Amino acid sequence: MINLEKVSMKFNLGIEKNFSMKQAFIDLFTKKKDKNNEEFWALTDVSFHVKKGEVVGLIGSNGAGKSTLLKIVSGVMKPTSGKVTVNGVISPMIELGAGFDPELNARENIYLNGAILGYSKKFIDEKFDEIVEFSELRDFLEVPVKNFSSGMTAKLAFSIATVVNPEILIVDEILSVGDIKFQEKSKKKMMDMINGGTTVLYVSHSLESIRDLCTKVVWLEHGKVIKMGETKKICDEYYKSQIG
Amino acid sequence: MTKTKAIFGNFKRYWFLMTQLISRDFKKKYKRSVLGILWSLLNPILTMAVMAIVFSQMFKFKVEGVNYIVYLMTGIIMFNYFSQASNMAMTSVVENFTLINKVYIPKYIFPVAKCLFVGIDFLLTLIPWFAIIILSYVGLGEYTCHINWYYLLLPYIFFCMFLFTVGMGLLLSCISVFLRDVFHIYGIVLTLWNYLTPVFYSIEILPARLQTIMHFNPMYQFLTAARSIVLYGQRPSFTTLGILGLIGVGMLAIGAFVFKKKQDKFIYYV
Repeated sequence: MINLEKVSMKFNLGIEKNFSMKQAFIDLFTKKKDKNNEEFWALTDVSFHVKKGEVVGLIGSNGAGKSTLLKIVSGVMKPTSGKVTVNGVISPMIELGAGFDPELNARENIYLNGAILGYSKKFIDEKFDEIVEFSELRDFLEVPVKNFSSGMTAKLAFSIATVVNPEILIVDEILSVGDIKFQEKSKKKMMDMINGGTTVLYVSHSLESIRDLCTKVVWLEHGKVIKMGETKKICDEYYKSQIG
Repeated sequence: MTKTKAIFGNFKRYWFLMTQLISRDFKKKYKRSVLGILWSLLNPILTMAVMAIVFSQMFKFKVEGVNYIVYLMTGIIMFNYFSQASNMAMTSVVENFTLINKVYIPKYIFPVAKCLFVGIDFLLTLIPWFAIIILSYVGLGEYTCHINWYYLLLPYIFFCMFLFTVGMGLLLSCISVFLRDVFHIYGIVLTLWNYLTPVFYSIEILPARLQTIMHFNPMYQFLTAARSIVLYGQRPSFTTLGILGLIGVGMLAIGAFVFKKKQDKFIYYV
């Protein structure tokens, strides 16, 4: 389903500053820094393969390149080099509610966010009640999302994102949304999707949920794959290396 | 062939998103206003009234042989469409960076949606515009307008202007990602462009040399074609109509080409 071959991603940190009159002026009086220092490889030669129905967990410390990898798989970024092949419809849950407009009410946002995720109007019409039911926000449909608490926003976003049965689900740390009741519910929903044969790429810092869900784990550090393989083994090793 | 098909398939797939973005803009624009969408009709009428008073009463502007109010209004609504749409399209990509950074969406959607959004507003302003043309028959202003079959060419002229605007929007939104200075420059460019386009004056008051240069101003071409139909009852020549099409398609091609070439780099400049 998903195949990554020697994927590398380079960011140029210099872009952020070098491009202004002010900076150019400062540069006149300071020594030029080594240009190569400004290159940052978020990923180097990452290769792995995800088969249909597999649930792959990505672990690694902050800045290891996990989110970058998800963005590359979901098509938000193109890799600097290497090849990504994805077969199937992707539902990205990289950041819930990124497509919400705070000024619009919940009803309007369901349509807007659905459209952003690539749903058709007919589909949203059909699933509207299901989304509202799952989000437990029926009484707040006419309230602008800016007045929602962060928990409510996340619940709504989760409900919209999971109403499809995608072939590939990309999840970045979202199982901890809402109250305990909703967390259990969303976890169950995820399990249903996984059992339904959805392929999942899952990023989390919670080893517990990785152990629960994943069939395989990829351990990233500084943009490189350290190890990959069986969930329990890799998780144990990772835990040991982190806690030491 | 397959490429054209892919582009249209893509367009169809994201059409619903386009409509959602447009309706969001409308909802936000008229949120908490009592008159709501009526403002789209009232605004041009009131602007018109102000402009008509300023230019025809205070400055005593007139254009020989035609109804000055309609002359002015045609210029204003057309130029306003262009300046508003291109300006909003320019900022649209940067404004939606959070989204572009999170979900895969074809990025051209944002500038195109803005041009369509302002386009709907433009269509609404045609209602008071046409009302004033009719009023010219009952004595509003000195001269009457012409109503004839050539009016059927107006949609074509407006469409060419739309394509031109989309092209500009794509180009500007792309450049502005890399060079935010464009945001500040373009406002001034638009003001200058506004004065360099015969919106409230007639080209005849300019020196001959400037008149020649004026022909290279695309907005002048669009305005003149529409005015020749409405004010003079004359069909623009086929050459003119061809040129308008070329301006529209040409600008769109330039904008689309640059945008397509650079769009994968946007993400680094978030």
